[in-house]
Amino acid sequence: MKILVIEDEQALLESILAYFIGEGNICEFASNFASASEKIALYNYDCILLDLGLPDGEGLELLSQLKQLKKKDGVLILSARHSLDDRLAGLDLGADDYLVKPFHLSELKARVSAIVRRKNFDGHNLITFNEIKVDVSAMKTSVSNNQVVLTKKEFDLLVYFLANKNKIVTKNAMAEHLWGDEMDLSNDFDFIYTHVKNLKKKLAEAGGKDYLRSVYGIGYKFGEA
Amino acid sequence: MKLSTRYNRVNLLTSLVILIITGIIYYVVIHFILTERLDRDLAVEENEIRQYTQTYQKLPLPASYLDQQVSYKEINGDVSNIRDFSYTSYVNPKENEIEPGRSLVTTVNLKGKIYQVTITKSRVESEDLVRIILFITLGVTVVLLLSLILINRFVLSRLWRPFYSILNRMKTFEVTKMETIKEEPTQVDEFRELNESVNAMAKKVRQDYKELKSFTDNASHEMMTPLAVINSKLDSLLQTETFTEQQGHLLEDIYHATGRLSRLHQSLLLLAKIENNIIPDAENIDIQEMLEGKIRQFQELFDKDGLEVRSKLENTEITMSRYLADILLNNLFSNSVRHNHRGGRIDVKLTSNILIISNTGKDKSVQDRIFDRFSKSAESEGMGLGLAISKQICTLYGFELEYSYLDNRHSFKVYFKKSL
Repeated sequence: MKILVIEDEQALLESILAYFIGEGNICEFASNFASASEKIALYNYDCILLDLGLPDGEGLELLSQLKQLKKKDGVLILSARHSLDDRLAGLDLGADDYLVKPFHLSELKARVSAIVRRKNFDGHNLITFNEIKVDVSAMKTSVSNNQVVLTKKEFDLLVYFLANKNKIVTKNAMAEHLWGDEMDLSNDFDFIYTHVKNLKKKLAEAGGKDYLRSVYGIGYKFGEA
Repeated sequence: MKLSTRYNRVNLLTSLVILIITGIIYYVVIHFILTERLDRDLAVEENEIRQYTQTYQKLPLPASYLDQQVSYKEINGDVSNIRDFSYTSYVNPKENEIEPGRSLVTTVNLKGKIYQVTITKSRVESEDLVRIILFITLGVTVVLLLSLILINRFVLSRLWRPFYSILNRMKTFEVTKMETIKEEPTQVDEFRELNESVNAMAKKVRQDYKELKSFTDNASHEMMTPLAVINSKLDSLLQTETFTEQQGHLLEDIYHATGRLSRLHQSLLLLAKIENNIIPDAENIDIQEMLEGKIRQFQELFDKDGLEVRSKLENTEITMSRYLADILLNNLFSNSVRHNHRGGRIDVKLTSNILIISNTGKDKSVQDRIFDRFSKSAESEGMGLGLAISKQICTLYGFELEYSYLDNRHSFKVYFKKSL
């Protein structure tokens, strides 16, 4: 997928780019309003990651520009402002999602993947990874054409892992993804282990290879070993 | 004790004491003056008798005049010059009554013989006079006291009214609401000054509060970016995957700390937002449905600690922001899980005007400052902000959040309508 990251914080920009690069993704960046505006006008992207707090302009204006240009780029807003007004204004102007800083890169990737899938497949929302096929809109999973029945949480987890293939995903990020960051969970994420274990078991029973492995107790990595 | 009551008490007591003392002095002085007069009359009479005896060389008739009696007695022996005033009784022959009297006993020398002369005068008139004066004094006292009480009660309370009105406004003053304390129209300089000072103080407090708040807001926003950087760098670092087990643990700890920091930060921002009432419109929420959803959502957490959850929910709708309702329930449930013991219980009860979430608990006693920010029990893993936020949310919608501890169970009650 082709991604434009509009972010003025250099350190954050680098991390995002590093995380997204690979797997045939093309990543471009803009660290100010002017260059962002130029890039938006010139090229088409699958998804634009937009930081609202730019030094030389209001990020929301870029959204209006996109609308005027009648572009169909997916937009994910990144904001330090946990403000509902901003969120609503952004979504009203045609943004697809809204993520509040600080965020986990894995969460960002999952959201971007979801946006891109929605844009590209128009309802036919399929993820394929080797023998595993996931139909996101129908919430169906199959391994080598064997149907696998997953619970909602296990399904969400699988989609999350697939979006973050070959990346280490922390338990912290997984918990926030599954239960929401408002839940004020304790740092004891043992209950995630149950879900991961069940998912692993179900995939294995359907004949899938073991792609999931635990990393240092911090999180999990999904991918070919 | 109210100032006016205290003032009244002192005032009345002093007036009473002074009036009583005045009354006593009055009585004594008038009594003394009247007795003096009587004694003078008696002396005049004595003089007359002496002159009579000297002129006519015989005693006057021991006659009774109006209010006056004279009697003689011959005394043998060598008693000379007795002269003695005394209080006696006086028998009024007309009315056949015994009245108080004053008598003078003296001696008269007649032809070598000594006679004892007793002159008695009725004191009834002077006593009457004293009594009348006493009554008038008493009357004046009573009238004076009564009028003092009345003045104090009505005039004083009216005089103090601006003070109480200012006081009430100060009591209802809330720094978060940006309203001024209204001027109280008054002619009294002290109150006007008080009013001005109070307003000046309120203005200063508001100003300080505003500055502090904007500082907090700015600080939180500024904190966001570095936090985001730390978080993303950690994520990136993790992907390099060249750690030892030990480094992995270190990384985990850093993750936890940053996770806590960002949650803390979000909580503080949320608190500030609720306080400033910048939460979007309230809507009607089916709280029953929401609770059922929450119980499902928390199922993993319940199962992990082997908690038994019993719920008794009635269909109830309340009006509030969905976002805040979610946070409120999250906090209450998190709390009931966090402070529970393994295999404990959680009871959820919902009726049309109250929500009760009660749980068995580890710690017995909980501080009174349970709803204060950053107040938490020693072993709590939370930040001590959850209940402060819950309280704040309830306050925003006029709900009442109450904590009680009974039969080893901690209960949180949310009254949707104020119980008054």
